[in-house]
Amino acid sequence: MPSSGTMDVEAFAPNVGEIHGYKTEEWKLKGAQILNVLYEVSNEPFPGLMPVTFHPVIPAYAILNVTHYPESPAGPFTIADVRVGCRAGVRPRGFTLKSYVSTAAAAQELTRRWGYPASVADVSMRAFHDRVVGRVKADGRTILEVEMLDRDFIGGNDIQYVSSMHLCRNREDGKLVVVQLDPEWTFTKAERGRPQLVKFDAKAWNGGDKLVPTWPISASYTIADATLSQIRYVSDPDKDAFKGTTQVAA
Amino acid sequence: MKFGIFYEISVPRPWDREAEKRVFDNCLEQVALADELGFDTVWAVEHHFLEEYSHCSAPEIFLTACAMRTKKMRVGHGIVVCVPEFNHPIKIAERTATLDIISGGRLEVGTGRSATWNELGGFRANPDETKKTWDEFVRCLPKMWTQERFSYQGRSWSMPERAIIPKPYQKPHPPMWVAVTSPGTEIDAAERGLGSLGLTFGSVKEQEEKIKNYRRIISTCEPVGEFVNDKVSTVNFLFCHEDTERGNKIGRRMLGTFNFLAAQLLAAREAYPTKSYPSLGLLPTLRREASGPADQAGVPEGIAIGDPERVLRACKRWEAVGVDRINFLLNALETVPQEDVLNSLRTFAKHVMPHFQDSSTQAAAAGGGR
Repeated sequence: MPSSGTMDVEAFAPNVGEIHGYKTEEWKLKGAQILNVLYEVSNEPFPGLMPVTFHPVIPAYAILNVTHYPESPAGPFTIADVRVGCRAGVRPRGFTLKSYVSTAAAAQELTRRWGYPASVADVSMRAFHDRVVGRVKADGRTILEVEMLDRDFIGGNDIQYVSSMHLCRNREDGKLVVVQLDPEWTFTKAERGRPQLVKFDAKAWNGGDKLVPTWPISASYTIADATLSQIRYVSDPDKDAFKGTTQVAA
Repeated sequence: MKFGIFYEISVPRPWDREAEKRVFDNCLEQVALADELGFDTVWAVEHHFLEEYSHCSAPEIFLTACAMRTKKMRVGHGIVVCVPEFNHPIKIAERTATLDIISGGRLEVGTGRSATWNELGGFRANPDETKKTWDEFVRCLPKMWTQERFSYQGRSWSMPERAIIPKPYQKPHPPMWVAVTSPGTEIDAAERGLGSLGLTFGSVKEQEEKIKNYRRIISTCEPVGEFVNDKVSTVNFLFCHEDTERGNKIGRRMLGTFNFLAAQLLAAREAYPTKSYPSLGLLPTLRREASGPADQAGVPEGIAIGDPERVLRACKRWEAVGVDRINFLLNALETVPQEDVLNSLRTFAKHVMPHFQDSSTQAAAAGGGR
């Protein structure tokens, strides 16, 4: 049978954010610019990067995502995530290891409302005529620089983002929980290109020495109206998603 | 209506020295029995790198063994991945012709293009190109089989004039099929005069519309081969047991295992944004069927699992919407013990097959139960 995640969630716990309960209002965010890059990563240590809730997808891959929101209730911000490809039961998901956000206000709201494992850093995205570049600098060091080269138009229907899930601690009961996010996207522009990873510091993304990018898969750049929806499901990080998932909103 | 069996050949971990041999041996034993019982065709997929899910990366060799163990059963090489990084078209023509000779003219050739990143990425194939190369391959294959010498200047491949040998035993050539999973591929199949293999997505009503559309288009097609194959074949699951509760229970376990296993793979569309893959492909399609709305027994609509009466009803539903053949998956990860698989085949042959008129299986089915 498929293998399951082997992460020691208690050991990972210092990296997680604190969510203030599961009832939050959705955010409608217009004109988001999304750079989404997929890389295959080393298979062997991969299960250690996710709780037992998940099954590592075959082949192992990571999603490197940089998104700029020009407007939000917390003001404009840019967020970068590193996620690992997995399955919750039979559903494709990306387990977020770490997020960096460009403003303290946005980081605080994203953590409080959705439990993002967010820290503040210098996160930026720039679109040039021949490439789109996402970059994250933390403590003066570049910990991610990823590019999409050879920009080429495609249709929004050709894009399929997988929903993300992350570990956080619920302030109400102090328990660790896996929260599922199902953003909705309405694309106004979509491009595809060649991925190039210029700089990646796995340790800064909670990947330690287990997250080693090997082969590029794809890169896309889209402009979309996004809805960060209410939290609908949470999962127990000590149980398979089939057995440990609870609905928390209609 | 004709019935066949369909192999992915899934092998559970741990992959010790005997594990894979045991699964292949079980499959070959099932094939031999199915031949005796009057099943029409054994199909074997071509998949690569799909851990546990399918270890059938050299189906032509497995099918050669099947041909050697059977007398009447046809052997379905399908689908052959028509992407140059996987298979050179000359090699496809050569090995299919050889298999047709070895089997005494019992070969069916299924064509397709792969739908997982596991495979496309593993062979470094460009997902944007696979539909185009498939089209070139299916137009070339009949000519390579039938022309004494063949030359070609094409988009994805070319060759100077050579005799591609041997030639198939069947004249003019073996029947050709295409795996129909992406929306619109049934039109591609019909326009080219190819049989539709695995047209199984959507509700029965939706299916009926697609089959009608396929039949309408194929009636005026320009076939790529020397003749039109206008048959519609589907993939289903089979576990048939006279004890209703046991039939449902074991069958559901097989479905659940398949569902779970297939889900861990990476569909091309999930990994690589492209117009070339508007749907997720066969695996998620089968998965969706395996987890569709269930009846009181917890078995999804149209799935051939349960007691003979229920299995008969499922098969009749497909027949009623125009399906000509049903090919059954018999196991997943060896969750069904071999003796139960064999008994399921016997029970199906004894109680279900005789209810289908014009089935070549009928005569054998009458003596199918042991």
